[in-house]
Amino acid sequence: MAWRGNISKYLKELRFLMCQTSPASSTARAFVEKNYKELKTLNPKLPILIRECSGTEPQLWARYDMGVEKGIKLEGLTEEQISKALQDLVKAGESLKR
Amino acid sequence: MGLGLLASKAVRPASRILHSPNPRNFLLRTIVSKPELKKPEGAAAQTQPEPPPVDLPPRTPVAGARVHFDNPDDAIEVFVDGYPVKIPKGMTVLQACEVAGVDIPRFCYHSRLSIAGNCRMCLVEVEKSPKPVASCAMPALPGMKIKTDTPVAKKAREGVMEFLLMNHPLDCPICDQGGECDLQDQSMAFGSDRGRFTEMKRSVVDKNLGPLVKTVMTRCIQCTRCVRFATEVAGVQDLGMLGRGSGEEIGTYVEKLMTSELSGNVIDICPVGALTSKPFAFKARNWELKGTESIDVTDAVGSNIRIDSRGPEVMRIVPRLNEDINEEWISDKTRFCYDGLKRQRLNDPMIRGRDGRFKAVSWRDALAVVAEIAHQTKPEEIVGISGRLSDTESMMALKDFLNRMGSDNVWCEGIGVNTNADLRSGYIMNTSIAGLEKADVFLLVGTQPRVEAAMVNARIRKTVKATQAKVGYIGPPTDFNYDHQHLGADPQTLLDIAEGRHPFSKTISNAKNPCIIVGGGVLERKDKDAILATIETIAKNGKVVRPDWNGLNMLLLHAAQTAALDLGLVPRSEKSLESAKFVYLMGADDVNLEQIPNDAFVVYQGHHGDKSVYRANVILPAAAFSEKEGTYENTEGCVQQTLPAVPTVGDARDDWKIIRALSEVAGMRLPYDTISAIRARIKTVAPNLVHMDEREPAIFSSLPKPDITEKVSKTPFGIAVENFYMTDAITRASKIMAQCSAALLKK
Repeated sequence: MAWRGNISKYLKELRFLMCQTSPASSTARAFVEKNYKELKTLNPKLPILIRECSGTEPQLWARYDMGVEKGIKLEGLTEEQISKALQDLVKAGESLKR
Repeated sequence: MGLGLLASKAVRPASRILHSPNPRNFLLRTIVSKPELKKPEGAAAQTQPEPPPVDLPPRTPVAGARVHFDNPDDAIEVFVDGYPVKIPKGMTVLQACEVAGVDIPRFCYHSRLSIAGNCRMCLVEVEKSPKPVASCAMPALPGMKIKTDTPVAKKAREGVMEFLLMNHPLDCPICDQGGECDLQDQSMAFGSDRGRFTEMKRSVVDKNLGPLVKTVMTRCIQCTRCVRFATEVAGVQDLGMLGRGSGEEIGTYVEKLMTSELSGNVIDICPVGALTSKPFAFKARNWELKGTESIDVTDAVGSNIRIDSRGPEVMRIVPRLNEDINEEWISDKTRFCYDGLKRQRLNDPMIRGRDGRFKAVSWRDALAVVAEIAHQTKPEEIVGISGRLSDTESMMALKDFLNRMGSDNVWCEGIGVNTNADLRSGYIMNTSIAGLEKADVFLLVGTQPRVEAAMVNARIRKTVKATQAKVGYIGPPTDFNYDHQHLGADPQTLLDIAEGRHPFSKTISNAKNPCIIVGGGVLERKDKDAILATIETIAKNGKVVRPDWNGLNMLLLHAAQTAALDLGLVPRSEKSLESAKFVYLMGADDVNLEQIPNDAFVVYQGHHGDKSVYRANVILPAAAFSEKEGTYENTEGCVQQTLPAVPTVGDARDDWKIIRALSEVAGMRLPYDTISAIRARIKTVAPNLVHMDEREPAIFSSLPKPDITEKVSKTPFGIAVENFYMTDAITRASKIMAQCSAALLKK
C-alpha cells in the first residue's frame, strides 16, 4: 500500500471523528487501532487528529493546501472501505496538487 | 382529622417562611420574645400524637443535598419534625436535617471542613435528650426524633445569638460583609429584638495577613472556620487560636503574612466581616453588583467563577460551586487578577508610524494595511501564534484564516515543536480532577502543581490527607504542602523507574490506582517524545492504564492549551518563526520576540499592552475573557464557556470577529458570521469542544505508537511557572498581583 506513504505529500492534516462507545463508530475505532501506528510511522510529520466525542457519527476529514477540506462519513463502512475512503481522499489531494 | 394533624398544618407555613432561601421573607416574621418561648418545657408540654407520615408534604433537600448509600444495610431512619428520612450511618443530625429539607442555622459548621461545634448556633431539640444538642457535632442515631422548630430550639438560638452579638460591634453600615453576612441574616431570622448586655464590648487588634485579606478582628465570632481552612485545605499552619475565654482571638501567632495560594477563600468562609477582601474594601455593596457566571482563564483548571460587576467595571471575582473542578475554592490569582482588566488596555486599532510611535486609526484602515501586507508575503513566511488566554473560537478562526492563506505555521504558545496532538489521551488529564481522589500513589514529573494549578494541588492534598497516598516528585526542589518524596531532578530518575532500578517503581506497581502527572512544561523540551515514551513504559509496567482506571495524566499550564491541541495548533518546524515575514500574534505575549526577524511585519491582536506590543507594527484591540463569550477547555478536557460580564473597552472587538473581518478584507472570507456558525465549524474538527460543560473522556490510551529513536537528555526538569501571581497579560497588568509577588514571594 504505497499510497499510505504519500498521504503527507498531498494532505496537510487528517482527522478522524468518532464516538467512544457507539456501535456506529466501531469500525472507525477498529481502523484507528489497527492502522494508526503504520500511518504515523509512514507519515511522521502529518497530524492525524483522532477526536472522540460521545454521539458523534464517524467521519474522516482531510485538509489540503490553501485550507480546502473534504469530509467523508464512515458510518456503515467496513475497515477496508474506510481504507478505500482514505485512499480516495489522498487521490483527491493528488488531483488538487496538479 | 386528628388534632395533631391540624396543629402540624398550622405550623408548617410559618416554618417554610423561616427556612426560605429568599431573605426578604425574613422580614415577614416579627422578632418578639413570646411568653411561650420563655418556657423551656414548651415542647414537652405538647404531647400530641405523631402525625402519620403519609400526609406530610414532600420536602426538597437543602441546596440539593443528596445521600449516597455505600451499603444499604447502613441506612438508618430518623424523624425531622416528624418527617421520616433515610440517611447513612455516621451522618450528623445537621446533615439529616438538610436531607429532610430543613436548613439549620450555623456559623462554625462547614461541610468541607472538620467539625468544631463551638458556635452553638445549630442547637436543636432531640426527643429524650435533657437539653438541646449541637446538631453539627451529634451523630444521628436510629429512630432519633429531631425537632428543629420547637420553642426550646428557638429559645436556644435566640440565646446563642445574644451571646454572639455581645462582643460583636454594631458597625454593619461600614462593614464590607453587610448584605451577605451570615450573622446579620441569622440575627434577623433567629435573634431577639434586644440584648441585655450593657458593659463595654471587647476589642481586638487587627492582624496583617498580607495584601489580599483585610482583617477587622473585633468582628470575629471565633468560629475557627479560617483556622480549619488554612490547616486542612490550604495546608499552611499560619492561622491559629490564641488566648482563652473573652481573650480568645484568631491570629498568626507571630507577625507573619499568610503565604498560601488559596488564602482568598477565607474571605468566603468567614461568616462575619472579620476577614474581607482588601482590594474590594469599601468599593461596592453586594446588592449593587451584577453576577455573571463565567470561567477562570488564569490557569488550565478552568475554575468556575462568578464575575461581579457594576456598570462597566469588574468589581470582584468569587468562586462558583463545581464539585468536579474547583469544589468551592479558587486560587488567589483567579480571585484577585481582575484589577488587571482595567489597566494597560488596548482600546483602539493602531499603526506604528515611521517615527516609531503608534497612531490610532480606524478598523477599516488597520485591516486594509494588515491584509495588504499578508498578501505580499509568501505563504510559508506567514506565522500565526495564539496566546495563553485565547478562546477556542478565535483559535479556530486564526487557523482557518492562515490555512486559507496557504500557511501551516499556526500554533499556540507553550506547545513545543511537533508535539504529538493526535490522541487526546496524550495531553489531557485522563483521571479527571475529581478522579484524583481515588489515586493512592502519585508520581509528579516536572510539574509543580502548587503554582501551576493550585486547585489540582488542593485536590492532591485532599487525597493525601484523607488516604495517606504516596507522592513521588521528579523536578527541581519546590514547595509542597503535603508529604512527598523528592526522587530526583532530571529525566535519569525517570529512566531508573522505567527500568525498575528505582524503589519507587515497586511503589507504583504495588499501588491500586497509581497516577502519573506530567507537567505541561515537558512539552517545550526538545526530548519530549523520549520522555513521554519513558513515562508510557512506566505506565505499562505499573499498570497505570487499565480499562477501569486511567492514571496517566498531563497537567497543562494555560487556559488555551487543551483546546489548541484539540484543534491541532502545533508548530511544525523550529525555524518557521526565524524565517517569518508576517507574524500574527493573537494575544501571544510570551513569544521569544528576539526570534522574530527585524524586517518582519508583526500584528498584535489582544487586550493588553504587554510585552509583544513593543514589537508590533499594528495593534488590533480585542476583548478580554470578562467581555466575551468564549469556549475554554480545561486540562481534564471539560469544555466550559465564559460569558460577557462587562462591555468591551473602547473600540475593541471579539477575537474571532476581528479575524473574520480581516479574512473578508483579505479576500478570502471565512464561512461563518455568528458564534454558532463558528461552533458548527469547530464541530468538524473537534466535536468535543461544542459539548458545553461536559468532559469527553479520551479512548485509545494504549494505542501502539511509532517507536522513538531519540534518547532522553540529561537536562534537569525546569520550573514552568516562575511567579505564581504573574503568568499572563492580565495578571502582569494587575497591581494586586504585583503587590503579592513583592510581599509573598520574598525569598
